Amino acid sequence: MGKGANTVTPLATHHHEAGGLDQTLEFLERTRSELRQLRRVCVGQDRLRVHDVNGDVFEIIGLGYVDPDVIHLLKSINTAYDPRTRHLPTAAEFKEFKLGRCHPRAEDRVM
Amino acid sequence: MLQTPSKPSMNEARDQDPFNNSSYGTLVDAPYKLVSLPVLDVLDFNERIIRGYEDGSAEKGLPADLSMARSLVPAGTATLRDFSNIAPEIPLYIPENCTGCMDCVTQCPDTAILGKVLSEAELEERLATITEPADRDMFRTQWSRTKKYFDAPKKKGLPGGMFNIIIDPSKCKGCAECVTLCDDNALKMADKTDEVMTAARKSHRYFKNFGPSNAQYISDNLLIDMMLKEQTHLYTGGAGSCAGCGEGTALRMLCASTGSKYGDQWGIVAATGCNTVYTSTYPYNPYLVPWTNSLFENAPAYAIGVRMRWDQMGWQDRPLWCLGGDGAMFDIGFQALSRLFASGMNIKVFVLDTQVYSNTGGQASTSSFTGQNTKMSVHGKVLGGKQERRKEIAQIAMMHPRSYVAQTTCAHTNHFYRSVLGALEFDGPAIVVCYTTCQPEHGVGDNMAADQARLAVDSRAFPLLVYDPRKGNTLKERLSLQGNPASKDDWYVNPKTKEPVTFIDFARSEGRFSKQFDRDGNPSQTLLRAKEDRLENWHLLQELAGLR
Repeated sequence: MGKGANTVTPLATHHHEAGGLDQTLEFLERTRSELRQLRRVCVGQDRLRVHDVNGDVFEIIGLGYVDPDVIHLLKSINTAYDPRTRHLPTAAEFKEFKLGRCHPRAEDRVM
Repeated sequence: MLQTPSKPSMNEARDQDPFNNSSYGTLVDAPYKLVSLPVLDVLDFNERIIRGYEDGSAEKGLPADLSMARSLVPAGTATLRDFSNIAPEIPLYIPENCTGCMDCVTQCPDTAILGKVLSEAELEERLATITEPADRDMFRTQWSRTKKYFDAPKKKGLPGGMFNIIIDPSKCKGCAECVTLCDDNALKMADKTDEVMTAARKSHRYFKNFGPSNAQYISDNLLIDMMLKEQTHLYTGGAGSCAGCGEGTALRMLCASTGSKYGDQWGIVAATGCNTVYTSTYPYNPYLVPWTNSLFENAPAYAIGVRMRWDQMGWQDRPLWCLGGDGAMFDIGFQALSRLFASGMNIKVFVLDTQVYSNTGGQASTSSFTGQNTKMSVHGKVLGGKQERRKEIAQIAMMHPRSYVAQTTCAHTNHFYRSVLGALEFDGPAIVVCYTTCQPEHGVGDNMAADQARLAVDSRAFPLLVYDPRKGNTLKERLSLQGNPASKDDWYVNPKTKEPVTFIDFARSEGRFSKQFDRDGNPSQTLLRAKEDRLENWHLLQELAGLR
């Protein structure tokens, strides 16, 4: 089974409930430190999985790409995704977005 | 009179390096690389000056002396440098999952992950030399039976080869590039506990003690296996580049492919830039071949002089590489580069194209993409990042008389090696332009060099090409776009998402373009122009290659 596989058993799972965005964000923030460098996030119709370089995964069930709440989660881990197409249906099981983008060194320094 | 006990050599086990991980030789131990120069005493340099830097006494006790005044540094001194303490994590090898693809070994920017193949009998023979049973068992479990080295030779009636990947803990900077590349779960990052580090240090020591790979398992036709040979490791670990530096990998692969054909009988003239800083931060030098640096703008002119002298000495058969970044080759040294092509001389140019002046803090070069946020094109109210279009040095070089041109990335390993070997085989001037990440300036993770290089090609930001004047009489015969996905189409379509991969997708994944997107993710007009620019450039290449 490859590292990118979405069948890997997650290290932890959180069940997202309507109105429970803060708890879901808190779960992600708390568990983030247990992952290594983040690699990608996969968002299906009803779940979201965050993968690190080791292939370890955290899963949030009950939150898919159609749900506007997912935007807050994607932004909280600096996901490279297109908000204009994020919610559109896909034939694939998951939409896959890259992680790892960061601020360039001294990006606001003017010479 | 009391006698002071002599200190062990820097190339031997000592208190600071009990398993002698920081020793000369990459796959096997080797002595210092001595030179017969009256002005440079290698033994003195390595034992006195390097020791001073490694034990921290240099700034207090080393006098300014003649070797320092001459700025001479012996070959390969970076191998004596210890980087064990700069990162909190190190990769661990999981042999049962390994396929022997060699991607991790090839792409490591720091020569910190190494491979070896021995027959079963050879392995048992070597294991028997480990006196400590626990160590013997520990190291035995790190050898794997892969289809590539074990099953395939067996089918041919040869003994199966046992394969081992090892991490050199004294050189690894913990970037996780190798782990990111490994699709087989054969590497994972782990915390550097005492137990992990002791096992890594011991394993690396046994790895070097076990001698070279058995040559019968190394196919010369399989370019990715070249790093199983000691002669290809002419760029040691210990350079001062950032963790995950894309340039480091490019230089290693350049040295490996040149070394595979010419051993260490070749040289480098380097233009000032990041590459010269991290490969000559006194007193550390990762090169095991002659290397020189003068200024920023004159490397091609300097190389012409070296070539002339070498030819006078009868060294016509020794390749000479002229290295530089995009600032040195696209901008400030451009006229010298053009002169080099016009000369028709047998000099090979290698460009580390990071699309920015990385060394001096990230100023725009003519290689920077439209929309890129750099220090000389800061994204603000008046201007949204760089407004000019990117200069295409490959196309300009193609229009010089009879010059070999390639544009490649390290992530396209076979294309890279073939481009470099093609340049070396060509009897005349050649240029290989290599896309490389600069993590701090691009705004991408330390582990993303290969990922971003692949996306740069897929999105037409940086197309692969080879222009070989020997291939025919027409442009389309000489220019090949092989290696680019969907080379007859405008954009490559991702088979998973069924969506085209454009420059906007590339830009979205890097911090240097983040200000080009509004809160809703809409790209700016500047970025849309950049996308059109990349498509126009791609169309031009398609036209020249007869694909349009």
